[in-house]
Amino acid sequence: MIIWTIAKNSWVDQLRNRFYYLIILFGGVLLYVSLLVGVLAVEQELRVLLDLGLALIELLTLIAAIFVTTTSILREMERKTIYLILTRPVSRLQYLLGRFFGLLISVACAMALMGLVHLSVLLAKGWKFDLFYPLVLFYSLLKVWLICSLSMLLALYASSTLTAMSITLILWLLGHFGHEIAFLVKKSAGIKAALLQTVSYIMPNMTLFNLREVWQHPDFVFSWSVFGASVAYALLYSSACLFLSQRLFNSKEL
Amino acid sequence: MAMDAALSYLNVTKVYSRSHLGRRYDTLGLSELTLEVRAGEILGLLGLNGSGKTTSIKLALGLLTPSLGEVRIFGKRPQEDGTLKDVGFLPELPYFYPNLSPAEALRFYGRLSGLRGGDLEKQIGVVLERVGLEPQRKKKLGEFSKGMLQKLGLAQAVLHRPKILFLDEPVSGLDPVAIRDIRELLSQLSREGCTLFLSSHSISEVERLCHRVAILVRGRLARLVESAEWEKAPGRLEQIFIETVAK
Repeated sequence: MIIWTIAKNSWVDQLRNRFYYLIILFGGVLLYVSLLVGVLAVEQELRVLLDLGLALIELLTLIAAIFVTTTSILREMERKTIYLILTRPVSRLQYLLGRFFGLLISVACAMALMGLVHLSVLLAKGWKFDLFYPLVLFYSLLKVWLICSLSMLLALYASSTLTAMSITLILWLLGHFGHEIAFLVKKSAGIKAALLQTVSYIMPNMTLFNLREVWQHPDFVFSWSVFGASVAYALLYSSACLFLSQRLFNSKEL
Repeated sequence: MAMDAALSYLNVTKVYSRSHLGRRYDTLGLSELTLEVRAGEILGLLGLNGSGKTTSIKLALGLLTPSLGEVRIFGKRPQEDGTLKDVGFLPELPYFYPNLSPAEALRFYGRLSGLRGGDLEKQIGVVLERVGLEPQRKKKLGEFSKGMLQKLGLAQAVLHRPKILFLDEPVSGLDPVAIRDIRELLSQLSREGCTLFLSSHSISEVERLCHRVAILVRGRLARLVESAEWEKAPGRLEQIFIETVAK
């Protein structure tokens, strides 16, 4: 109940702040792009619109998620609004989980709304609905889930918004090079291999969630076991981040 | 520890440690503080900046952990389950989520304190009326003045009917009318049996409100003064305070 109360508070606070602006911005960009691609990509209009739209949704949500997660708890500490919460019968774990799920719900809502705008434009242009569309969005959400938990941990560790944001962005980028790092591990030996192996374990493996890039490939086959493994990975990785965040947060003096 | 102690500091020391480039820097926040606040009394903390007033309050609320000694609220450690449900806290210049209305903010804090349903809604009405914010019930907090925010701060602190109330600079930066309103509210709470523990720079306010005053100097309890004592003193509490901090 306490976790839900805090999550709802985060959600309402975010929705009244910058998320609507983000959606309006995205809607504007998307409509502008849809008009442009009609002129620039005569035969590939739908394909470009689909790919560009999905990439934009993921990117905008991700940037917003990193920004909001890294700033929210640190801002609460700075403004001391956290005092009014933690001086009640609320544990630090409950607070952390409440904030985390609240931010995640906000991000999921923003993503769903942006998806609806995108889908409306696609359908208006004559695209035939594919069930993989919501699944692609779900995979993007898993990426954001993972990044939210990682940026929360980094924000608590670094105690600086800019540092936490920069490191999260770097890890997010590196996370897309999972195959390349695995290749380098195979090609290396000794300490170098061990180091690269450690890095590959610590980094979030974003390649597991790249359905957006492969679902339209003619050879693509959907597998429930791969789906299950991806969800399990996201859950385990974010649980580990949240566990470490809680340890850090418990030791923090406010 | 006396049975009727609402709050006890038992030989409490707080040292803030900070590391920079491999070196550790220690700052003494509070030193060997032993103090009891009796149930139902108003105890004021006076001291210069950095004397340990806010540290004492944060230690009691579990926001900080003592380096040595322990703090007890009604016999329990602040971190123990259920201790904080009897506690209310008004921080110095409280900040609220600017997009919420007072009723929404109180609903949030009330739920965190365990209030639900009809009882919560009734309490929101009662405390808003009490602090005089009922007419602004639906106004956004971003539009509130400092005095109104302070009143809302007090409303959230007493919403769940705490037995002990911690107030950090409750009249800081307020105009004379708002100060009078806050003072009247605090006196009323005390008459209802609530224990008040407040820190302040305003000697005249402390003098008017408190039954006892603890004067902190560089983290140490330098003097504990009863109201009867300053009422008899020629320069009243101000003279006692200045003599104590000048030593």
